[in-house]
Amino acid sequence: MKTIKLIIADDHELFRNGLKELLKKYSDIDVVDCVADGKEFIDVLKNNSELDVVLLDITMPNMDGFEVLNEIKSLNKSVKPIIISMHDEGNYIAKCAKNGAYSYLLKNTDQDELIKIIRIVSGGKKYFSPKISEKMINYMSEQTVSEHILSKKEQEVLELLSKGLTTKEIALKLFVSSRTIETHRANIIKKLEVKNTAELIKKASKINLI
Amino acid sequence: MSLRSLILLIINGLVFLVVVILSITFYNQFSHVIDDRILQQLNSIKTLKKIQIENLIQTEWHNFSENPTSTCFGDSLNISMSKKQFPVSGIYDLTKYHKQNKTSIGLVLVDSNQIKLNVIPYDKIKSILLERTGMGNTGESYLVGDDYNMRSQSRFFPKKTPFSILVKTEGVLNGLSSESGRGIYKDYRGIDVYGVYSTVNLSNLKLVILSEIDKSEVKAPLEALKSRLLGLIGIIMLVAIVLSLFLSRIIANPIINMKNSLKIMADGDYTQTNEFVKNSNEIKEMFLALDNLKKSLQGAVNFSNEIGEMNLNALYLPKSNSDLLGKSLIKMRNKLIEFRNNENKHRINTKRQLVDGLENERRRLSRELHDGIGPLLTSLKFYIENNIESKTQQQEMKTIVDNTISEIRLMSNALMPSTLDDFGIGAALTNFIESINKSSSIHIDFEDLTNKNNTKLTKNQEINIFRISQELINNALKHGNPKNIKITLSEFDDFISLFYFDDGNGFNLDTVKLGSGIINMKERVEICKGEIQITSKSGNTTFEIELPIEDHEDH
Repeated sequence: MKTIKLIIADDHELFRNGLKELLKKYSDIDVVDCVADGKEFIDVLKNNSELDVVLLDITMPNMDGFEVLNEIKSLNKSVKPIIISMHDEGNYIAKCAKNGAYSYLLKNTDQDELIKIIRIVSGGKKYFSPKISEKMINYMSEQTVSEHILSKKEQEVLELLSKGLTTKEIALKLFVSSRTIETHRANIIKKLEVKNTAELIKKASKINLI
Repeated sequence: MSLRSLILLIINGLVFLVVVILSITFYNQFSHVIDDRILQQLNSIKTLKKIQIENLIQTEWHNFSENPTSTCFGDSLNISMSKKQFPVSGIYDLTKYHKQNKTSIGLVLVDSNQIKLNVIPYDKIKSILLERTGMGNTGESYLVGDDYNMRSQSRFFPKKTPFSILVKTEGVLNGLSSESGRGIYKDYRGIDVYGVYSTVNLSNLKLVILSEIDKSEVKAPLEALKSRLLGLIGIIMLVAIVLSLFLSRIIANPIINMKNSLKIMADGDYTQTNEFVKNSNEIKEMFLALDNLKKSLQGAVNFSNEIGEMNLNALYLPKSNSDLLGKSLIKMRNKLIEFRNNENKHRINTKRQLVDGLENERRRLSRELHDGIGPLLTSLKFYIENNIESKTQQQEMKTIVDNTISEIRLMSNALMPSTLDDFGIGAALTNFIESINKSSSIHIDFEDLTNKNNTKLTKNQEINIFRISQELINNALKHGNPKNIKITLSEFDDFISLFYFDDGNGFNLDTVKLGSGIINMKERVEICKGEIQITSKSGNTTFEIELPIEDHEDH
């Protein structure tokens, strides 16, 4: 069985050592090196193309985990990064997944889970535990990126405007301040390249925005 | 010296001077004219009498020489003298030879040892001289011989023999030495008289004829004039004094009033509103000017009051370009405004530094917990997994360590979520609200309309928005008891708007205890130069917070 060549990048020495000790028990895992920050890791990576997996911390001095992920992508290296972090928020997980992480682990993940994931990832598969996936999906579901000309909010404002509601009424309905609605309206008018609200309604219905 | 006495003195002095000079000139002129008139009159009387006397003597002499029938020499005429005493014919004064010294003008004709003598009757002479037409009460004309004795009857001593009266007066002396003259001198009684005199010089006869009148009689009308003039001066002065008193009141009163007004103003009281009689245009204008001065001073005083109460928006227009007081007041106000602005800036700066320090400390602590203690605990967990033989014991210990790690994660997030630094306000608030939604029955709707990738918000603004939102939600949970909370965070090019709504109990803005909650929020808004608007009633509480976004970051 081929051994998994692994490197640990974390700024806490105690953690690195603990992890290394733990992984020593497994014969199929070979901890090649331990580095204290992202920069050091990139240096090692450049000289060693046979690395399989990196256990990567996000919060590190000099170069943090996010940057390392981007660097790996741009260097076109085959090393598979597993994020191992204290952060358990969906936004961190989502960002890492987006930037090319193969997996995301919390630092207090059980030993068995850790080994399992290292083995899965070394095989070239991405894996996110159900708990982590849930957090990530929760976060991403709220981040609806509008591909339309108008933002979701602007679309809402436009629809209420076309129904003849006043700025104040729209503000009350959408739970924002009057000035916010005014600014939204001004932005919509700018985006649709019209001069006033009447023209705006005309053009909006013409291009089927309402 | 007061103004009134000065006016009185000047006016009365002038009037007095004029009146006195006029009176004296008038009096002198009058006196001079009278003197002249009297002397002329006396002169004409004297001349008339002289001619009459001379005519009488000449006529007598002529008659006598034509018809020298004389009574027998000497006795009948009561003249005792010898014939030898008359060497030639002629007219002689024989008075001193008369036995009773009766005035006798003798006519002597010497014709071959025969001397004929006659005397002109004294009555004829007397009647000429005693004719007193135009001579007043004291006027008289008389003759005096070269022995200075009188020859005709004195009007004042009719009983006395004229010859016994010695008249050695200036008039006689001058009359004997020269032809004629006039003058004022003492007569034989020792009384001042106006007199004219001339010599009667016929053959051997040498007499002085004088016409005199008492000075006192001549001067009587002058005296009357004098007393009348004095009376007139008195009356004029009285009128002048009364008039000048009145005049001085007219002139001085407004000035005195003005003085009093100015005195009061000098004491610093500009509120007096005394009305004064203004009796001329100049005085009216003066009081108008005083009123204007008072008004402008009052304006300045009010303005200073406003400034004193730090009401620095008070307006004041300088009265003119030379209104130095107004200008310096405005300068003072501007300095105060500048001072207050600096003070405000300084205060906000201090607050910002305080809050920044607090937030930095929180961040540091949060990081320390999250990135320091956390990994240590995970290391501990590895140690347990590596070194604890008993599976059950290992499991128990790992559970405790996991719980501790979760607790530390919560604490770290409560202090300052690292998401705020790494992902911005939108993600941080989303996470925060999600955790609240999980742990309570309230439904919080959060709409994040920030620019995720290229936000222009500064870190400090993000922290402040996060803290304000935290405060809003915590307050609502603690006091408002709402079912729904809606929060919208909208970022625009030039401002970011945080809109908060809840359907809780609401509160009264005026009576709500401005505990740390709202005050902290307001402070944070102020630090960010933003605005906050709060409305609250049961079932509808809103907070509208707006912070400006600047293109260049100033922190």
